[in-house]
Amino acid sequence: MNTSPFAALARYGIVWVTLALFVVLAITTDGFLTGPNLRNVLDQQATLLIAASVATLTMIAGGFDVSISAVAVAAPLVALRVENATGSVALALLAGCAFGLVVGMVNGSVVSFAKINSFITTLATSFIVFGIGFLVSDRSILRPESENYRDIARTRVADLTTATWISLGVVAIAWVTLSATRFGRHVYATGGNIEAAKLAGIRTGRIIVLVFALSGLAAGLAGVVASSRAISATPSDDFSFVFGVIAAIVVGGTSIAGGTGAVWRTLLGALFIAFMVNGFNLHQIDPIWQRIIQGVVILVAVAADAWSRSRRT
Amino acid sequence: MADSANHVELRGISKRFGTTLAVDDASLAVERGSIHGLVGENGAGKSTIGKIISGVYTADRGSLLVNGRLESFRTPRQAFAAGITTIAQELSLLKDRSVADNVFCGVESTRFGFMSRRGTQRRFASLTSSTGIQLDPAPTAGSLSVAEQQLVEILRAAARGAEFVIMDEPSARLSGTERDQLHRLLREMRERGTTVLLISHFLQEVLDLSDAVTVMRDGRIVRTSNAETETADTLIEAMIGRQLAGNYPPKAMPAQPGQPRQGEPPALRVRGLRRPGLGAQSGLDLDVCSGEIVGLAGLVGAGRTEFVRAVYGADPITEGEIQIAGEPLARPPARALRRPQWWSRLRPTRAIRRGLGLIPESRRDQGLLPDRSLRENISLPHLSRTTKAGIVSRRAERNLVVAAAAGAEVRGGGLETPVHLLSGGNQQKSLFARWMVPGLKVLIADEPTRGVDVGSKRSIYDLIASASGNGLAVLIVSSELEELIGLCHRIVVMRAGQFVAEFSHPDLDEAEILRQAFGGEPIPPSDRQTAEQQ
Repeated sequence: MNTSPFAALARYGIVWVTLALFVVLAITTDGFLTGPNLRNVLDQQATLLIAASVATLTMIAGGFDVSISAVAVAAPLVALRVENATGSVALALLAGCAFGLVVGMVNGSVVSFAKINSFITTLATSFIVFGIGFLVSDRSILRPESENYRDIARTRVADLTTATWISLGVVAIAWVTLSATRFGRHVYATGGNIEAAKLAGIRTGRIIVLVFALSGLAAGLAGVVASSRAISATPSDDFSFVFGVIAAIVVGGTSIAGGTGAVWRTLLGALFIAFMVNGFNLHQIDPIWQRIIQGVVILVAVAADAWSRSRRT
Repeated sequence: MADSANHVELRGISKRFGTTLAVDDASLAVERGSIHGLVGENGAGKSTIGKIISGVYTADRGSLLVNGRLESFRTPRQAFAAGITTIAQELSLLKDRSVADNVFCGVESTRFGFMSRRGTQRRFASLTSSTGIQLDPAPTAGSLSVAEQQLVEILRAAARGAEFVIMDEPSARLSGTERDQLHRLLREMRERGTTVLLISHFLQEVLDLSDAVTVMRDGRIVRTSNAETETADTLIEAMIGRQLAGNYPPKAMPAQPGQPRQGEPPALRVRGLRRPGLGAQSGLDLDVCSGEIVGLAGLVGAGRTEFVRAVYGADPITEGEIQIAGEPLARPPARALRRPQWWSRLRPTRAIRRGLGLIPESRRDQGLLPDRSLRENISLPHLSRTTKAGIVSRRAERNLVVAAAAGAEVRGGGLETPVHLLSGGNQQKSLFARWMVPGLKVLIADEPTRGVDVGSKRSIYDLIASASGNGLAVLIVSSELEELIGLCHRIVVMRAGQFVAEFSHPDLDEAEILRQAFGGEPIPPSDRQTAEQQ
């Protein structure tokens, strides 16, 4: 029914608009198409990509994880406490990721076994985790003791920062996991039709716990990488990180209803938003207008998804 | 006006979706105060016609006349205003709101913008007395049976003063008595002057009820005629444009029906199965042998679906043993652990591994991943066979899926087509394809042909017959008794969560089976409620 050329065009819409934006910015600005600028854009997007590529799996499985912000704030505080105590950067990294993993497993278990809506669950755990962040840090900014902590994100390998390399690695792992493994298929099935998935022999409860656990792990890693770039971590209760993550996923074309989407879409969604912001800055557009335009773009993306769903019978 | 005998008239209506011409130059006149049947295979354009009349779709070409006046509805609300309403196959009630709230949803009784309780009560009472439908206004719609929910929809139509009611497959989900009740109601509606457009796959129903019948094929109107001049055979012939030899494939009898071959355990053996609402008096026992087709007959709520779901491991059981080809699916529990919550969830995984497959009651809610491809839908339960080190081998998957899809004759798209683009018949066949894999020993099909067109029905029957001929044991649940009689070697009748009778080919007597299904004594309400809960 909707196999028309227009539908095919709409299906890969994010590819065309990202390419178009890239070309437009390359032509209209001097600064855009330069190595330093593009490398800088990638570096700035690293933490978002780490969290968003894995959170894409959660969204496709039908879950919604807003605790990403809280984990990304609290995990580096845990990591720096460990670093301050032991002097080991590796242990710090491990502790930050483990913290995220544990929070994610708690989220997933509550969603899956207590059958509480995932948005509400992760909203509640967010407050708890923000609180833990204040407790762990004693309400103060934490800084690493060793010089090496900054190397997690700031080492340059082949012109790119390690933050960029880590993010590309996480994107690749999430991409392969979703598209080529049995687990990935089960993620699609769980979000697409949970009843059908159960009857096909899939342990949907386990899948849900796993996607939340992975999402927490990735958020923890993203937080540690961010603190390594900043060479400090501050306790806060700032939710804004997860909004950027969700915007990237949704603008890419992954459905918030679950069941469809892809990691490459999130990659493009994140790049699209990053190019847009970069272009605004290069064109010296007022940041107030930047926000408003970003909001409109997200609405258009979600509307396009809803529209394509309503057209099918 | 010009021709006031016709309540609704379509002249040269066409409607295109993408590349498909769903309705092609259709002209149709529905007489005021009549029941007008509309039949045809799935995809013939019946529902599209209904949706054009009710304002869900707007026709690309042609004109729509209501009471002789030219109309072009852009929304269902405009059609409501002209007295036209639809009662769809999938009911659209607010499950957590009361019956009265649902009936008056959108046309509430208010005083100064606040809900008027007394006004609502008065209107509900007058509505039930004028329609003769007795329903309690207080309970939530979700707590009612499907048949009662349908009554709510009919009351809702009446509350809006509907003069023209489109019923799309109203009886597909009803049991025999409920169906009779609906038929009585439709006749009463006609007597009060309401016009009914009846879209149905049940030809006998259409013939019994309708004054006129219109047959559609491939978006075109084949003919409209007086219902008395038609028979089920002439209608089917017009729908498919060819003569059907018989509706069912010939029965190849296993050597000894109901008896496994010497020294061989039955493909499926159930002993002493109990769960809330099932097997209350004595646990349920059933054997299905390789090469045998066994039918489960009974009324809605008799526990047929609950039984097959329990066997498959989709719902927990409290007691009993299930064996596939002699291998137990689950051991009977130690007495101390007899808690349904956690020990006895067999899990479909184990059933699938042993060679048991289930085609669930509702392909949309329980069967398919609508957005995913045919390939992914077919391979879903068998990915462990095609996975190495966690990675799905595309080639192994493809081989499995190609063979399965060919075995079930799924058509209408390539393996990468999202299944929601397939027709209802092909969607159902894709669920059969899911189980056309090596190593399957027992197939349970719950309502295998629900909402499927005549042509696909026959090919599903052929599929079941040939699979059983190849040694598969098949257990079918169906509300169409005719279908069970046409297909099965044995029919087991369920009533109130018990097996009450068994019939073997060739002694499959419809009247006797029905008598057993209804039973002599009334069903104790406590049992019935628990059976209907799931």
